Amino acid sequence: MSGTKTQQTMLREISPRPMPDGNPYLPMPATVAEVIQETGNIKTMRVVLDDAEAMRQFVYEPGQVGQLSVFGAGESTFVINSPPSQKDYLQFSVMQAGEVTAAIHRLSPGDKVGVRAPLGNYFPYADWKGKDVFFVGGGIGMAPIRTIMLHLLEHKDDYGKVSLLYGARSPRDMAYSYELDDWLRRPDLDCTLCIDAPFEGWEHKVGLIPNVLLELAPSPANCVAVLCGPPIMIKFTVQALEKLGFAPENIVTTLEKRMKCGIGICGRCNIGGRYVCIDGPVFTWKELQALPPEL
Amino acid sequence: MPVLEGKELRIVGFLCNWCSYGGADTAGVARAGQPTDLRIIRVPCSGRIDPLFIVKALLGGADGVLVSGCHPRDCHYAAGNFYARRRLEVLKQFLPVLGIDERRFEYTWVSASEGQRWQQVVTVFTERIHQLGRAPRFDDAEPLLKLADMALTSLRPLGTGQTAALDELKDAIRAKLPELDCVIGWQQGYDAAHTVPLFIRKPEDVDKLVWGPFNVNNPAVYLPSFKGKKVGIVVKGCDSRSVVELLQENLIRREDVTIFALPCEGTLDMARVNEKLGRYQRIDSVSLDEAGATIVADGTEHRFCMTEYAQGKCYGCTTPAAVLADTRLGTPTPVQPGTVVPPELALLDSMSLEERMAFWRGQMERCLRCYACRNACPMCVCRDFCISDSRNPHWMSQEDSPREKLFFQTIHAMHLAGRCTGCGECQRACPVGIPILALRQQIARAVAQLFDGYRPGLDPAAVPPLLGYEVEEKNIHERDWK
Amino acid sequence: MSMIRFVTADGLPGFLAHLAKDGQRVLVPVEKPANKPSVVFEPWQEGKAFTLAKATVPPKEAVLPQCETLFSFKKAKDPADPARVSLQLEEAPPPPPTVVFACRPCDARGFAVLDRPYLHGPFADPCYKARREALTVITLTCASGCNTCFCHWVGGGPSSPEGSDVLMTAIEGGYVLQAITPRGEACLAASALPDGAEVFPRAEEARKAAWQSLEPAPDLKDAPQRLAALFTDTTFWQEQTDRCLSCGACTYFCPTCYCFNITDEGEGLSEKGGRRLRSWDNCMSSLFTREASGHNPRNAKALRMRNRVSHKFATYPENWGSFSCNGCGRCISNCPVCLDIRAIVLAALEKGADA
Repeated sequence: MSGTKTQQTMLREISPRPMPDGNPYLPMPATVAEVIQETGNIKTMRVVLDDAEAMRQFVYEPGQVGQLSVFGAGESTFVINSPPSQKDYLQFSVMQAGEVTAAIHRLSPGDKVGVRAPLGNYFPYADWKGKDVFFVGGGIGMAPIRTIMLHLLEHKDDYGKVSLLYGARSPRDMAYSYELDDWLRRPDLDCTLCIDAPFEGWEHKVGLIPNVLLELAPSPANCVAVLCGPPIMIKFTVQALEKLGFAPENIVTTLEKRMKCGIGICGRCNIGGRYVCIDGPVFTWKELQALPPEL
Repeated sequence: MPVLEGKELRIVGFLCNWCSYGGADTAGVARAGQPTDLRIIRVPCSGRIDPLFIVKALLGGADGVLVSGCHPRDCHYAAGNFYARRRLEVLKQFLPVLGIDERRFEYTWVSASEGQRWQQVVTVFTERIHQLGRAPRFDDAEPLLKLADMALTSLRPLGTGQTAALDELKDAIRAKLPELDCVIGWQQGYDAAHTVPLFIRKPEDVDKLVWGPFNVNNPAVYLPSFKGKKVGIVVKGCDSRSVVELLQENLIRREDVTIFALPCEGTLDMARVNEKLGRYQRIDSVSLDEAGATIVADGTEHRFCMTEYAQGKCYGCTTPAAVLADTRLGTPTPVQPGTVVPPELALLDSMSLEERMAFWRGQMERCLRCYACRNACPMCVCRDFCISDSRNPHWMSQEDSPREKLFFQTIHAMHLAGRCTGCGECQRACPVGIPILALRQQIARAVAQLFDGYRPGLDPAAVPPLLGYEVEEKNIHERDWK
Repeated sequence: MSMIRFVTADGLPGFLAHLAKDGQRVLVPVEKPANKPSVVFEPWQEGKAFTLAKATVPPKEAVLPQCETLFSFKKAKDPADPARVSLQLEEAPPPPPTVVFACRPCDARGFAVLDRPYLHGPFADPCYKARREALTVITLTCASGCNTCFCHWVGGGPSSPEGSDVLMTAIEGGYVLQAITPRGEACLAASALPDGAEVFPRAEEARKAAWQSLEPAPDLKDAPQRLAALFTDTTFWQEQTDRCLSCGACTYFCPTCYCFNITDEGEGLSEKGGRRLRSWDNCMSSLFTREASGHNPRNAKALRMRNRVSHKFATYPENWGSFSCNGCGRCISNCPVCLDIRAIVLAALEKGADA
C-alpha cells in the first residue's frame, strides 16, 4: 500500500470496550423472542442471536448500543437496555418515529432480524464506586438508564444511595410500567415518578423533570447524576443539576444521534471531531462542554 | 417468469376504480374475449395517476402502458380526469424525448357499463403493442454521445450591456435598501472572469454589484428562502420570468419582493468559456466591448464574441427586458419575431428514438447525483423534502444505475411541466455537463402546443396549465379505438 | 535511488495494455464530449481514447464506489425441515485489482486521507480495505497550478508523492516513471519499459519548474484554532454560505469526502431477498443529520457548511494530524455558485486575526 508519510494512528485513543469482531457491517442473525407493547408508540423487542454460541459469548457493558436491522427496511441504533447479566436475550426499546422503527414495530415473535452489537462506549460505573448515583430518565430516555440502573442495583454494595427520577408526558407514556411497582418498593432504590400534567388517579409527582428535580434537591456531595432524554429535557435538566451544585464531571448523559455505520466513519453523528458512535454515546457534561455546541 | 417469455408482452394498465375497472369487470362478466397481456393496477381515480407511474413502468421494462378512467364529466370526484387528461397528454408528448415511442402509452375513458368498449380498447392497444414488439431496454442501449450544435443565430443582437444604467441602478438600490432585508444581485467571483450571487445588506455592499455577460446565475432561486421578509432582487429578463412564476404559484408574495431590472443583452456560456480558457492560474484582464469579452489569462488573450459564446437559451430569448419590475432602467434591444429551437432540443430532435435512448444512457452514466440541477432550479421548491430522497414513497433507490438517474431527471422535468421558464440553471449547474435542459424544453414545447402558446412566467395572474383544466379541451382530442 | 523507467508518449497504450493484462482494471481519464466537457475515470480497453488532462471527477470511485453492496440477504428454507427458515447473508465478492492511471497528486493524496478513517480508526472498513489493498496509484505530476487549485496551501504540491505508488512526470518526448512504494517498484519492474535514470534529472527539473510557477501560498497553520473559535459565530457562517444551494456537488466531486449512507433495497426477507447498500452521502443535505423525531442538529445550510469546512480544516486534523482537504479545487470549479472554500478559510483566518 502506498503513502510514505501517512499518519497511521489516530491522535486520540478510543477507550477499550467490548467490540464486535469480523466485518463490522455484517449483522448477526437473530430472532425476535418477545415483543412488549410498552406504550402507544414504544415497543420493547427481546431478540436472541441465532448462533447459540455467539449468544453465550456475547458480552457488553451497560450503555453500549446495537444496530437492529429489519432486512428490507434498514437498521437503526438503540441502546441494549437489558442489564449485562441478562444472558438469554438482548432487549431494545423502540419508539416509532421513522421508517425503520415502523418496521420494527411490525415485528412479531419468530421474525428474523439482524444485530450489530455491541457498539460505542459505556457508563463509567467503575468510577462511581462508593458514590451516590442519581438517575434521571425522560420518556424513551429511560431505556439506557434502565440498563445501568439495574446493573448498579445488582452490585449495590459497591455504591451509595441509588435514586431514580423517571418522568414521562403522562402515565400512558411511561415505558416499563410493569416494573415500576417493583422499583418503587425496592429498598435499595429511591424511585420517584413524575408526569408533565395532572392525570386522574396519578399518585406520584406532577411537573416537568427539571422542576421535580429541583424539588427533590439531591445533594451533589459525592453524587453522580446520570440522565437521558430528549434534547430539550437534557438542556434544562443539566441547568437544574448545575443549580443544585453538581460539577460538570459528575453529570453523565448518553446521546442519541442519527447514526448509520456505528463505527466512526460515515460522518453524521459527529460533534466537532468526536463521533457519538465510537467516542460516545456516553459523555460527561464536562466532556460535552469541551466540544462544539452542536447537539 | 417463463410466462412472459412466450408471446405475451408486458402491458401495465392503470384503471380507475369507479369506471374503467368496472368496465373491465363488465367485459369479464359478459365473457368478452380479451388478450391476456394486460396487468391491471386499480387506482382510485385517473387523477391519482402520477405520470411518473407510467415513466417508471416504461423505463422498468413495460412494453406498453394503458391508462383508463371515467369519461370526462363523469369523474367520481368531479374533476380528477380533467386534470389527468392534461397531464397524460403532456406526458405522451414528452416520452419521445427519452427515446420511448409514445405509441407505447395510451389513455382513454371507459365507463363501468362499457364492457364492449373495454374489450375493444384492450384488443386494439394490445395489438398495437404487439406490432411495436418488445420495448427496447434502456439498460441495454449502447451509450451514444453527441454534441449540440451551438452555431446559432439570435432573435436580437447580443451584447455585453456596455450602456447599462448600472450606476442609476445602484442609486435606486441604495435608496430602497433601508426598507429591505437584502437585495440579491451579482458580484465578482473567485476571479474577474466569474461572477457569483451577491447579497446586499449594507449600503457599502451596493458597490460590489456588477452587470454584464458573466451574470449567469438566476437569483430567483433564493427568493422562497426569504419567506416573510422584504427582499429586493436584480433580474435579467429570464430571471424575471422565474420571479413571475413563483408569484403565479403563490410561493412568494408580491408585496415582499422589489424587482430591479436592467435589459439583458445576453450571458456567456461559462462552460464553453472555461473550456477555451483551459488551465490557467491568473486572469490578467477582462475587457468588455459591445460585441464580446476579451480575457487575458496567464498572458494569453482569448476572445469571446457574444454571437458565438452566449448561453444556448439566449439565442431564442424573447424577454431581454424583465416581464415584471418595480424599477426598470434602460431600453432593451428589440426582438425579431420568430422562434429558435434551443440547441439541446434541436440535437434530440435530430435523433431517432433509439439514438435518444442511447444518448441518455450515455449521458446519465456520469451523473453523480449531486442534485445541483434540482437545487439550482428556482421552481424546485420542495427543497429538503424531495421525493427522490424519500423512502416512503420509495420512488428512487440508492442504486446508481443510469436508469435510476434518468428517472430522477424525468421526475424533475414532470414536476416542472407548465412551470419551467427555461432559465437553464439545471443544465448550467450540472458539473458534468449533461444537457438535461432538453427534457424541460420538450415539455415546454408540448405545453405551448397544447395550451395556445402558453409560456410560464409571463403573467403573474395566469394559472399554470397543469393546475387547471377546460371541460372541452381545445387541443386535446379523444383518440378513436377502431 | 528508487526504480526509474521511461515511456514515450506513443508507448503509453502499450504500457496500459501491460497493466490491463491478467484482468486488472485500469482506470484512465476519459474525456466525455459535452458542452461542458467532463473528464472521468473509466476502465481502459484496447483502442479506447484517454486523456492526460486533470479529471473533473476524482478517482475516488476506485476505493469508494458511488454505491456498493455491503451484503445481500434472503430467506432460505432448510431442505431437511421446510418449516424452518433461516436468514442467509452473503458478502459482496472481492473487488478486482485496480490501477488508477494518470490521476494527479491531489487525487493520490485523497487516498491517503481516506485511508486514515477507513483503515486506521477503531474499526477497519473491510470493503474499503479490500479495494485499497488491490490498488496501484500511478500519478501524473502537474506542470502548473490552476485558478481553482491550491494543493500547496494544504501540504501537497504539483509533485507530492503522498498516496502514489508511481510518480509520472512529462518531459520532452515522453514520461519518466518513478517508483515511490514497493508496490510501484513491482509494477514498474514487471513492465518492459526501459530504464529512465538517465532522464530523471529532466523530470526533476520539470517538477521544480512546476513548483516555481505556483502563486505564493498563505499560511494555514492557525486554521484549526480559528475555525474552532468561530464555531458559534453563526453570522460568519451565514454570510459565507448565503449563496450556497445545498446541493452535493462539493462533496461528490471531492476526493476526500467520504460520508456515506446505508440503505436496504429490494425485497425484505423473501426468497428473492434484497441488498444492503452503501452509497455516497452528502453533509450538505438537510436529511443527512435529520433524526426521525424531526430534530436536526444541522438544520441550516450555514451549519452544514460549517461542519464541512471544520471537518476538513479543524476536526480531521485534530484526529489525524493533517488537513483533509487536498486543494484539488473541484468543489470550487464544480460549484454552481462558485462557492470558494479557500475564501472561507481565509476569511476565518482574517476574522481571527482581527479579534
